[in-house]
Order: sequence, then C-alpha cells, then structure tokens
Amino acid sequence: MKKTIIWLLFLGVFSIQAQNIVRYDLFVRDTIVNFTGKEKRAIAVNGQIPMPTLTFTEGDIAEIYVHNELDEETSLHWHGLFLPNKEDGVPYLTQMPIPPHTVHKYTFPIIQHGTHWYHSHFGLQEQIGMYGSMILNKRPDDKTFRKGIDDLPTFPIVLSEWTDYKPENVHRMLHNASDWFAIKKGTTQSYAEAIKQGYFKTKVHNEWKRMNAMDVSDVYYDKFLINGKSENDDTSLKSLKAVDKVRLRISNGGASSYFWLTYAGGKITVVANDGNDVEPVEVDRMLIAVSETYDVVVTIPADNIAFEFLATPEDRTKSASIYLGEGIKQLTSPLPKLKYFEGMEMMNGMMKMNGDLDQMGMNMSMQQMDMNVVMYPEITGPEANGKKAKVEMDGEEPSTHKMEQMDGMDGMEGMKMNEDMYKSNELSDITTLNYAMLKSPTQTTLPDEAPVKELRFTLTGNMNRYVWSLDNKVISESDKILIKKGEKVRITLYNNSMMRHPMHLHGHDFRLLNGQGEYAPLKNVVDIMPMETDVIEFEANAEGDWFFHCHILYHMMSGMGRVFSYENQEPNPLIPNPQLALRKLKSDDRDFHIMAENDFATNGNDGQLMVQSTRWSFGTEWRLGYNDMHGYETETHIGRYIGKMQWLMPFVGFDWRYRKLGHNEVEENLFGQKNTKDKRSLVSVGVNYTLPMLVVAQAEIFTDGNVRLQFERNDIPVTQRLRMNLMWNTDKEYIGVLRYIATRNLGITTHYDSDMGFGVGLNLNY
Amino acid sequence: MKSMFNILIVLSVLLSANTGYAQIKNPKKETIKILGNCDRCKSDIEKAGNLKNEVIVIWNKDSKIAEITFDSKKNSLTEILKRIALEGYDNDQYLAPDMAYAQLAECCKYERKKQMYASTEVQPKMEMDADMHHPEKHTEMAMPDMMPTNGLDALFDNYFAIKDALVKTNATAASAKASELLTAIKDLKIESLKAEEQTVVTKIMPLLMDAAKSISETKDIGKQRETFKMLSKNIHGIVTFYNSNETIYYQYCPMQDANWLSKDSTIKNPYYGSQMLSCGSTVETIDKKN
Repeated sequence: MKKTIIWLLFLGVFSIQAQNIVRYDLFVRDTIVNFTGKEKRAIAVNGQIPMPTLTFTEGDIAEIYVHNELDEETSLHWHGLFLPNKEDGVPYLTQMPIPPHTVHKYTFPIIQHGTHWYHSHFGLQEQIGMYGSMILNKRPDDKTFRKGIDDLPTFPIVLSEWTDYKPENVHRMLHNASDWFAIKKGTTQSYAEAIKQGYFKTKVHNEWKRMNAMDVSDVYYDKFLINGKSENDDTSLKSLKAVDKVRLRISNGGASSYFWLTYAGGKITVVANDGNDVEPVEVDRMLIAVSETYDVVVTIPADNIAFEFLATPEDRTKSASIYLGEGIKQLTSPLPKLKYFEGMEMMNGMMKMNGDLDQMGMNMSMQQMDMNVVMYPEITGPEANGKKAKVEMDGEEPSTHKMEQMDGMDGMEGMKMNEDMYKSNELSDITTLNYAMLKSPTQTTLPDEAPVKELRFTLTGNMNRYVWSLDNKVISESDKILIKKGEKVRITLYNNSMMRHPMHLHGHDFRLLNGQGEYAPLKNVVDIMPMETDVIEFEANAEGDWFFHCHILYHMMSGMGRVFSYENQEPNPLIPNPQLALRKLKSDDRDFHIMAENDFATNGNDGQLMVQSTRWSFGTEWRLGYNDMHGYETETHIGRYIGKMQWLMPFVGFDWRYRKLGHNEVEENLFGQKNTKDKRSLVSVGVNYTLPMLVVAQAEIFTDGNVRLQFERNDIPVTQRLRMNLMWNTDKEYIGVLRYIATRNLGITTHYDSDMGFGVGLNLNY
Repeated sequence: MKSMFNILIVLSVLLSANTGYAQIKNPKKETIKILGNCDRCKSDIEKAGNLKNEVIVIWNKDSKIAEITFDSKKNSLTEILKRIALEGYDNDQYLAPDMAYAQLAECCKYERKKQMYASTEVQPKMEMDADMHHPEKHTEMAMPDMMPTNGLDALFDNYFAIKDALVKTNATAASAKASELLTAIKDLKIESLKAEEQTVVTKIMPLLMDAAKSISETKDIGKQRETFKMLSKNIHGIVTFYNSNETIYYQYCPMQDANWLSKDSTIKNPYYGSQMLSCGSTVETIDKKN
C-alpha cells in the first residue's frame, strides 16, 4: 500500500514537470482606430487588433489572465477548443461576464493541436477588434506528425472586416430592413437597373414572391483586413525564396463575411480544417466560412516577386491582400462582380409562394452544388448584355422562354433545373474546394456501441424582418436540449432560409458525414448553403452547457442557436444564479429595435416610429398638417407577427384625428359609412397581411363600427436611390411619395396626399 | 403632375450640383514608369488611376512615364498603382494579373519585361529576358531553363492543351492544338534522348502523328475524342521520359474504357466535357521530376 502511494506521488510529480504552464496576460482596452480616414472606437488587446496570437503546444497548460480595462463587460471564447465548460467564455451560459476593471483567469489543459482562434463572445465586441489567432502546435513526437507539412514555416492569418458604423447600429439597421447597405454596395437591384439589363420580369417575379433585393451578405463594410490591414506587407514573409513552401494558418474572424482565397503564385494545398488535419488537396480557390479555420500550403514560385494572397469577401465589394516573398508585387486576378439579377432569377426559381425553398428533387449537400455559380462570371461567363443576348446564346427560342415566365408568374418552376447546372467544379476548369473533398488522414468513427440521439433542425429565417432561427424558434423561445454523456448525437441540418449559415458547436468536434466513410473530417463549424442538408455527429464526452449557433454575429444575436445541456451535470461554479443567467442569455434576441422617420414637408409633417422585436411590433404613424384644415392625425398599432414568414400581423390600434372641414362636411367611405373626421379618437382591431408584390393589406374595424381596408406598398426601388410609396384605402384616402435617398439619414421627398395636398420636404430617418 | 415633374428636375439638378470640378487638396506629385504602348493604353491607365477631385494621372506613351498628382491625405501611390496594374499594366510596384494582361487590346500588349516572373499557371515555361529593375535576378531565374530538357516539353504541353480543349468541348481549339502537336512531334530532336528512350519514342512516333493529324483535320468533337483515346494511350508510354515539373495523373473513364493524362488530380473528363465532367478516377500518379 505504502509503495503504491509513493509510486502515485512520484507519478504526480512527474506529470507536473512534464506539463508546461504557458501564461498570457491580455489587457482589454478601448482604443481609437482610423481605417477609413475617420476616427472610430474599437477595442484592442495588448494594444493591437487583431488580438495577439496565442501559441501553445499540445500538453501545455494554458493560463490566460484577462484584464478587463473597458467600462463594459466582456468575455473570451476559445473557438474550437476542448476545455472544461466553465472556461468556454459564453457569458450567462458558462460564466458571468467579466465585470469592468477586473481580472479573470481562464485555465485549461491543451489536449489537441491545430489552428484555432479566440474572440469576444460578449455582445457585438467581436466586430470591433476582439478576435485573434490561437495556434496549438503538435508535439514533435506526435505520431500524426506529417513530414513536409508539419515542419514547414507557418504564418497565422486572421481575416476580418471593419465598418465605421457602430455594430449596434448595424444590427438595428438590419432589423429595420434599411437598404442603405445595398446602396453602398451598389446592389439595390432597382426597377430601372432591371429594365436596363433586361431583367424586368425577373424583378417583378421576385417582388411577386415577396422578396426584396437579393444579396450574398448583409452588411456593407468599409475595409476588409488580413491581420488588421487591407494591404499587408508583413516583413516576416519577405524572407521567403523561390520554391519555399509556407503554411498559412487562416482563421476567419469576420463577424459576417465569408472570404474567397486565391493566390497569385499558383495552387493552394489545403492540409487542415478547423484545427484537424485533412489529406492534402490541391485547389485553385476556396471559400472560408465565418469562423472556420483552414491551414493551407502555398509555394513561392520565383524570387524577387512578392506574390499576392488575396481574400475577397463573398459580395466582392472590396478585398484584402498579403504578399509572400520580397520584390515587385505580382497581383492575382480580382474576382469579377456578381451577376445579381441572375442570382435573383435563381432565387425566384427556388422560392415557393409560401416562402419555403423548393429543392426540385436535388439533393444538395457539402457545398458541392453552389446555386450562386449563376452569379459568378468566372464560372458561368460574363454578364450578357441584356437578356435577349443570353437567350440567343442558350440557343433556346426566346418566345417559349418568355411564355414560361408569364404563365402565372410561376413559370420558372417549369424550367428544367438540374444538379449539373450548379456544380462549380464541373462547369469550369477552376477547382473550388468543397466539403466533399475533405478527408481525415485517420479514422474518425465513433464507438459503435454508444446509443444514438437523433436531432433534426431546419434553419429558418426571414430576411425582410431579419429574424433568424432554428425550426422557427429563436433562443429565447426554446429550451435547452438535453443530451447524455456517452451518447452519439447525430444532427441533420436542413437550410430552408435564403442565406448560408456557418453553424458552430462549442467544446466538441463533430464528424461531417461527407461521403468519406470512416475518414469523415472532423470540424466544429459547418457551412450550410440554402436548400442543403448536412449530417453531423459527435460523441457527447464533455459535460456542460454548450452553445450551438450560427456564427454570423448578427444572426446569433437575433437568436439563431440552441444550447446543448448534459443531463445531471455538476452545477457550474461560475454561474451562481442560473435563473438570472438564463434570463440574461435570452435577452439578446428579445431586444427591441427602433426605427423612426419624419418628413418635414411644405404641406405638413409625415412620420412614423416603430419599435420591433422578433415577434412584436409597436408602431405609430402621424400626419400633422400646419393648419386645422389639413388636420392632425396619428395611428398607433400594436401587433404580433405570426408564422415563419411573418406576413400576417394582427394588431390593436388607437386612432386620433382632428380636422376642420368647411361647413361640417361629412365624408363617406366606400361602404357608405359616414365619418366627420373632425375630431375622433377611436380604438380598433385589425390585421396586416403582406401580399405578393410586397403590398401590405390592412383591414381594420373601429369602435364606431367603421371598417377600413387599406393597401400600401412602401419603398419600391425605382432607381438606385429613388423610392416610391403608394397607399390607398376605402376612406378614399391616397398617398403617393417619391423619396430620393441622399444619405443614410436624409432623404428628399415629394408627395401627394388626399388630405394635405401636394408637398415637398426633407425626410429624416433613424 | 407637371409641376411635380418640374420639381423633380429641380431636385435632381440640385443634387448633382456638388459634383463639379474642384482642385485637388494636399497635392503630392510622383512620376512613375508604367508599361503600355498606344493611345488606348493611355486612356485605360488614366481612367484606372483617376479619382474625381483626388487623383489625376497623365501618362506619356513615348516615355511610358506617368505623372500622378493626388490628395496625399486620402490616397496613396500604392493604391493608385495597384488599380492601374489590375487593369493589366505593369509598373514599378505591381505586376498585373496574367488574366488582365491577356485581356488587353492587341495594341496594348506591351512586351512584359517581367514575363519571366509570371506565375506558372498561365505560362509554365518562363522566358528569359533581361530585367532592368532586378539585374541580379538574371542568373537565379535562369535556373528553371538550365534543368535538363529533352524536347518532350512541347509535345506534352500540346497534349495537355488538346485535353483541356476536349474538357471544354471546344473542337476548334482541339484541332488547332493538334496541329501544333503535329509540328512538335516533327520538330522533336530524337538524338537528345537517351538510347533506350529513343527506341520507344521512335516506335510510337508514327502513331502519335497519325492521331494528332486526324484530330487536327476534323471539327467533329466525337471523332476527336475517339482518336484522343489512342493518343492518350500512346503518349502514356513515354510519360516516364518526360521531366515534368508537375505531378502527372493517369486517369481512367470506365464509361469509355479509356485513359488520359492530366496535371490535375481532380477529374476533368475530356471524353464527356461538362456532361459528365467528374466521371473517372486516377489510376496512376507520375511524380514530378524536379
């Protein structure tokens, strides 16, 4: 017995010696940055953006002291790491946020290797600088050590983006369906542009299906950054000489941008993904999803040239470059602009009238079939000059094509769509990486005997109202999902929304069932394109509450996620009050977003104030004349959005108006009901329903028995910056407005109103 | 309605009033050499560089010198030169993407002084050319050309070009490349090969010539593909003599029971083109020789 104890003691001492403690001190501070010529607030850690690269070797013990010198809370998440739940850094879930001006210590053993990253998981801090690389090196004696790959020089790269707008404001604008970002990007897809390019019918068809302009990303960014710079001449890459190879460890720390990666010096060899080795695969280009990591090996083909490694966001508005080697800079071809109207036509085809996506019998999975290829000139040819030219090129008879489109507006479904139309790698000689090409070098199968828990989620969303959810429920509307330790959890994900989503699981790697059988790659982020179905599975082996969410920051904050919770787990010492924490966790997607506008016109003031959340809407509209003849009126509606597409909104309303008509004139509505309008204050109930062409129909009944039907269509995109509003109701009121959008908050309007007549004004909006 | 229209016009005039010409603030002037030839290039270069009220580029086609005046607070010379290079014009700081150069108008295809540096994907063989800016590079860059070559390069280059044309179902290109292949076979200096190689090559040469000739003489993609089977089979016989600087893959299409060679591990089936592009598998990998 004694002997055993001594032996144990000896072992203990031994292991302490073998485990190397690596300590980092991170000082989180407010800072001012200037990316665009304007000084803006950002957050820097140890004085830098991105945050410093943290390097460990498998077997180390990490001790990370976070000194929060901000006046707000924060918390850091170690993305892709296996660690005790309380070190995971999700505020209100695995710990309480780190209070201002305090120090928090994260400590965990490093039990894996690979390229990972870390970022703030608090609020929208990730958007303004809180992201950095985390490199876990293999031990040299690791039996998976790959000669020629793991011994290459490495260089960490963090991709990100910058906007001069405060992220809170970005979030608010997204929820208000502001099209300012589209104007900045030049992607308004207005009627004038549609007509010019020969896509008028496509545009009408699109609005018929109740869709706004389509895009591949939501936010307009001022700059895209590689390690904090959009034009990066990192000196440590200058020593590279001809035929040297370098391994770039790339993390996408962008809040909402996917990046295309291309290289001026030739092919890119992918050797690892999400921190896990994959069999080397050579590609011409690849798309890295938000929060994914890829390790790639590139060769410097010649001396005295610096070869551009280019990161282009999916919307291709701008790009960021870093140069490998020293000398004159060899550029690579920029990605040509997207063919948005082709994309719109594709969207029309896949959208059913009820807002679901129509798979048309195609089995889409693993990014192999990319519907977006119709927008890529480098794959499907340059933009045809007008639709006619395109039809002729296709060798189709133009008349049948037109007929199909006109037939009940649903002709597109009649068109033959087949899988080959979208397989990027078969349409061109450019090889693009997709998930099916990833293969683990080692077997990744899970224990056979473990019980399987099957879960299925449909990714759902509503672009117009910027609601993103799973199974049409946001985080605050759903319970934690209980799983048992030792189970195999198999999740089937189907994306029924119109955007792609990078779904990230905390604390575990999952197998992505991509057709590689026992060698399915291990990942912790899976990018799912619209209409794709992907299956992932993982072994439930780490107790705790683990977040599973879309890593597009604004989607996560809107509630697109779930929490996996292990049954019968020990309470988390960092969450002293679980009820309070849960309430706080759920408050993110319960936020209300404010929108207000007022038109100061020659004939009166017109305006509205809207406060909306995922399901609720409080809106007040007013029309205030400058004299009693024109009158004053306000209408307030409190409603709740119903259904996935939120086209239906029942509401209760309150109406107040005062107007002096000459000689006590009495107005009569279409139904013969009379109404003086002189002075009324009424309560009402009613319902809004969004019709095709995005016309909002409103039926309302007032306490005096009067009924009103109203049809309203706002923000018809006439040209890039010109919008038109039209309204008519059964009180024989009508309004027509033309608004020119001058700046984000300022418009110039001209309108005609049946009550107040003709006016010209300035529109201010927030 | 008419008054509304008038007001719209007034509005639009007002809105466009702020776009008039203004002097460049914080001006800084630089002179830079930018390659190009003609008036077309001049307008391309200046258009790419200019920014309203911020940058003015004036390029002289004889001296190839651009005078760039720019607002130094809002622009950097680097950004301006990058924009110009992206249009296809090499300059002191940037080499244009090969694609942008290739798309220049004929008269603008200046002699690329840095052709020898160009990335390997478009021009696998680097041409030697003296470089004014980096004279010391001359010797280092000569290295690729000093590698032992045995004249099979042109043969294989043309073979791969035919293969690519068939992948794209482009009969015209396939036929053009086949006649180049024919020339390459005729020009082959058989004495540069080793003795045992000479025997094999001499044996298959007539077969290669027949196949190349037949592909070059037809525009029928079906016939070309049929002949390409023969061509591929025979050329595979000598692939081991070829000092390729890239790995070559011998691939097989079960539906046609035919093989082909490719530099790409990803299957791009020349026998079907886009119909069944990814049908097939790699059956042999020939490692690169240098």
